[in-house]
Amino acid sequence: METLVVVVLLTFLAITAIGIIVLRDLLGAVILLGLYSFIAAGAFVVLDAVDVAFTEAAVGSGISTILFLGALSFTKHEQKKRGHDSFVALLFVVVTGALLIYGTLDMPHFGRIDSPAQTHPDLAVRFIEQSGSEVGPPNIVTSVLASYRGYDTLGETLVVFAAGIAVLSLLGLKRRRPEDDMPEDTPDHLPGDPLSGNANENQTHY
Amino acid sequence: MIDWIVWSVSWVLMLIGCVFVVSGAVGLIRMPDLYTRLHAASLTDTGGAIVISLVLIIQSVFVFGSAMAAIKVLLILFFTLFTSPTASHALAKTALLCGQVPTDGHGNPILESPEQATLLARSRPADYRSGQDGERARQEAAERRRHDDNAGDQS
Amino acid sequence: MFATAVVALLITMALTLARALMGPTLFDRLLAVNSFGTKTVLLIAVYGFMTGRPDFLDIALVYALINFVGTIAVLKFFEYDDLGSGAYQEDDF
Repeated sequence: METLVVVVLLTFLAITAIGIIVLRDLLGAVILLGLYSFIAAGAFVVLDAVDVAFTEAAVGSGISTILFLGALSFTKHEQKKRGHDSFVALLFVVVTGALLIYGTLDMPHFGRIDSPAQTHPDLAVRFIEQSGSEVGPPNIVTSVLASYRGYDTLGETLVVFAAGIAVLSLLGLKRRRPEDDMPEDTPDHLPGDPLSGNANENQTHY
Repeated sequence: MIDWIVWSVSWVLMLIGCVFVVSGAVGLIRMPDLYTRLHAASLTDTGGAIVISLVLIIQSVFVFGSAMAAIKVLLILFFTLFTSPTASHALAKTALLCGQVPTDGHGNPILESPEQATLLARSRPADYRSGQDGERARQEAAERRRHDDNAGDQS
Repeated sequence: MFATAVVALLITMALTLARALMGPTLFDRLLAVNSFGTKTVLLIAVYGFMTGRPDFLDIALVYALINFVGTIAVLKFFEYDDLGSGAYQEDDF
């Protein structure tokens, strides 16, 4: 049953990814990206990676959707049409993907009990046996993240925080005055219609 | 005895929930335009969530014996009951505001133009600026529909 | 029982995904994605009960809230072509 659910969710994931690539409408692609990270988070839950699923849901579906929308409000909603297909780029992508897949062949199979992480004499055994008395929380992942590699987590959080501030300052948080543009005055000032081709004409420029 | 009752009630409710959920998805595929799809999806979403959450509450109390799980399911149900209709309402209103014209039973648009849909979306009972326009658009649309109906009857 | 519900939810998710990919308008996609989020919440909750560990409910709770936030953000973007920097907050709706 678990295998069935995982396989179905991963199939959804692949279908959604192809849909995102094919779609030329960037707003639609942003919406589908939210869907993508929902499916990914569901798959993580089924695979027992609960903390990753939390992060994926909060970052992928929540924050990054909003950041993408903030970026889209400065640009057009339609992907630029390219005149040619770049076969060199395709070649590079295929080669890189093949190399990555070749790299995964060396990794231990999912859930194997004799994988190096499980059999290392100091790490896993010590975490499992002594993290309860040394740190406290019943969840071993929590004690590893917050205590054994606490400085690492602190640095990670700092980087993410700095990136968030940088993105916010790039997007601009200035308040617009209400008298700058009132959309309710006349039908000429209708909000941009994302469904028709002329959506970009009545878009606000800064 | 109580085990049997819990088991059968859970099964019946779960089947009802599955029917709700799947029929909502079928409606989402088969309905002709956005507003009918919205209707199908949002109604059955909420209905299915209520019924399936009931099953989960029954199971967590009687089978798993965990009150915490029941409270969490109740919280999920609470949030779903608040957020799902709100999201549906916002979706319908924004679609109207962006000029999605609803259609009638035969696939004909009810309003003349996307601008009328926008005006209709902007009209509110206690409006502050453009409500009169929206109210007028709505009355004009209703009159035109009545006129068209009469013309259709006479012909 | 839970397995039945999981299969029904997976079928539902497949149909909803089809609508999200077909479109035709952005609102259809958004509706499908919102509906898909609700289904994911239900799937995670039911899956937790199916495997006998109702501890996954916390994640379902978080998803239910994030789904709503994402939908409202996209809708706000549709309406104002902007994430709304607070200019219309006082006098709208």
